[in-house]
Amino acid sequence: MHRRLHQPHLPHSDSPAAPSSSSSDDAAAKRGKKRGSYNCGRCGLPKKGHSCHAGSSPSPAPDSSSSASAAAASTPVSAAAPAAAASSASAASASAVALAPSSLASASRRPPQPPPPLLPRHPISHLRRALSFDDLDVRADEEEEDFDEVEPDLDERDRDFVDGDADAGGLPARCLWEVLRRLPPAELLAVARVCKGWRETSRRVWRAAEDLKLRVPSRAQLCFVGSVLNKCPELVRLSLRMESDVDATMLACIAFSCPNLESVEISTSSNAVNRITGDELGRFVADKRCLTCLKMEGCSNLGGLVLSSSSLSTLWLSDLNSLSKMVFNCPNLREISLEFSRNGNDCTDLIAMVDGLGRSCPILQNIHIASVRLSHAVVLALTASNLRGLRMLSLVLGSEITDASVAAIASSFSDLELLDLSGSSISDSGIGMICNVFPETLSRLLLALCPNISSSGIQFATAQLPLLELMDCGMTVCDSNNESLISDEAINHGMEKRPNSSLHLIHQKLIIKHSKLKKLSLWGCSGLDALYLNCPELNDLNLNACKNLLPDRLLIQCPSLENVYALGCQELLIEVIQNQVNNDSFPVENHLPFKRLADGSKRVRVPHFLCQQQFDVDKKQRSRRRPCNVLAE
Amino acid sequence: MSSSSSSSSSPPCPKKMITLKSSDGETFEIEEIAALQSKTLENMIDENCASTPIPLPNVKGKILAKVVEFCTKHAEAGADAETLRAWDAEFVGVEHAIVFDYILAANFLEIPTLLDLACESVAEMIKGKTPDEIRKFFNINNAFSPEEEEDVRRQNQWAFE
Repeated sequence: MHRRLHQPHLPHSDSPAAPSSSSSDDAAAKRGKKRGSYNCGRCGLPKKGHSCHAGSSPSPAPDSSSSASAAAASTPVSAAAPAAAASSASAASASAVALAPSSLASASRRPPQPPPPLLPRHPISHLRRALSFDDLDVRADEEEEDFDEVEPDLDERDRDFVDGDADAGGLPARCLWEVLRRLPPAELLAVARVCKGWRETSRRVWRAAEDLKLRVPSRAQLCFVGSVLNKCPELVRLSLRMESDVDATMLACIAFSCPNLESVEISTSSNAVNRITGDELGRFVADKRCLTCLKMEGCSNLGGLVLSSSSLSTLWLSDLNSLSKMVFNCPNLREISLEFSRNGNDCTDLIAMVDGLGRSCPILQNIHIASVRLSHAVVLALTASNLRGLRMLSLVLGSEITDASVAAIASSFSDLELLDLSGSSISDSGIGMICNVFPETLSRLLLALCPNISSSGIQFATAQLPLLELMDCGMTVCDSNNESLISDEAINHGMEKRPNSSLHLIHQKLIIKHSKLKKLSLWGCSGLDALYLNCPELNDLNLNACKNLLPDRLLIQCPSLENVYALGCQELLIEVIQNQVNNDSFPVENHLPFKRLADGSKRVRVPHFLCQQQFDVDKKQRSRRRPCNVLAE
Repeated sequence: MSSSSSSSSSPPCPKKMITLKSSDGETFEIEEIAALQSKTLENMIDENCASTPIPLPNVKGKILAKVVEFCTKHAEAGADAETLRAWDAEFVGVEHAIVFDYILAANFLEIPTLLDLACESVAEMIKGKTPDEIRKFFNINNAFSPEEEEDVRRQNQWAFE
């Protein structure tokens, strides 16, 4: 089964609730009145930073389509990202607690591959007036006129328009606006041809657009993006999925067309090469005074990066490779995610980078770094900084991170809510330290691919961390005889099985009772042969590739369970799981005393109230929630 | 009658009913709790204008009946999301002229859930149709001159065909 080294999903602490009014006022002044005053058609006030409540519904626009496309757009780099995982992940990511949806949701994916990092997924809720271009087909050969040149004065149009019922097909302008703004962009453009009224309204929907998700197909020219961006000058959030190479001219186009832009996301599909250099990116960021969020994939050509911005608060860069320097002069930075390439030739000086990060970004709350070159020294550099506000720390793939690193983390950061040290060398004593320091705050603990952890460490963690909601122990308790779980690629990337006392890792059992645990991932734990779970809040359970888990040593008492992933498990086990999670007659713990008789048999002494007890349990079960999915395909 | 003036904390006990009067004179009763889904009605209730039948000159009786049904259904406690969704789908599974009326009523009465539902459903009706088909479907006069039409077509060429 395939499993990505999940990325802790770092939700925005609050999604950049950017007060756009101040910055857009500046923008208004800068832009002058060249393009005609954009007054709200409904109440006549200037549109800048204005959200019209005169009859508009603030409900999120095409939620299902946008969130599906959002998931597709913001899902990760790796070429093998299937839509199924993305959509389940996005559903999972909707909840504020869901931290690493990718790990559990990705369970359904197929062949084991080394964990190419996923971009941390963020909840794209509240897509206000979001337009999504996912299926747009582009004709690159047509000349496109600048749409705005030909537009007449807006206010006059509005006056004529508001009364025109019949022409607009029976709907007044305001209502038509409500309908058209729920159309995807391609349709929106098409309906402009219906009649004057519809064209006008569709223009206004464009102009009001604040969110845009655009898939840029390979034969599209820059002018395609430019002309689209020109239609929505109020754009606040832009997400581009590049299917062809992208370079600084795109950045320039974006910078020029969208003065109010606060969030930019550029993702690349498999063939597209991101040629943007560090200088160009640095300039873009420095010039865009209201930019709060920048996410970019495929950053292998950056070379070196100096980012200076007082507005930037979220930064995600992936596929970084051999940066000569990385300087972040971003005093307002709250969340940073840096994923380095893992093809072995990355030589970025992480220590210097982390050092600088600690110094220039004092209010950092969420840090995610994925690099095979993470080491104890890097952790020390991080802990030496004074990042008092750190809440989420994720340092993955660093096999040189040790228990000593955990000690350093434990002594410097006292309020961690999320700790992800997947791929490290920490052992059960490291877990002990974690449980010592963070029991009052830690709700998400991810220790996948940590070969030195045993089931007793896992059990200890679940027993000592009362607030735990997500626990990822994938590929920890592994049967070391089994090499097939780790593919060749993983070995090449330095994730080969480390020699450890393998005997104790076979035939391990896990007993977990936890009142708050919601997601548990034990994927790839082939050393487990018995599992007992009593977690009333558990929603997701990942048992992919737990091939040695015995059907008669499995007991799942988790009434809220919604999904169980059991790919690669024994057939019988899957059946047992299905029975246990969906059966009305809930397996009751055998509390009945029994007596061993002289002939070796056991006689159970049945208390007289047994029948009644059974009945009660059954009744409770019948009123249970909807059936649980057991996914084994 | 006006003992509970703050509508949001009105006790659930005796079902307080509001009377609405459509443009064609029909009257309809609706529970106050259900009526709160309409911001317009909520304001009226807040200002204690809800003791006499509220005239709604913009909404026909036929439509008002359905709107009352919608609000009542959505105000029901304990309705699970899936059933409600299915019910909603059926609610808007009528001919578009009626859905237009729902939009107008929801707009006038400021009922965001109904507005959303009805607009989405009209948007679905529009998706995938060519401009000609849209015109036929919604019975719209094409107000473009041939030159204008060519103009618009050229501008948006890359969006369709």
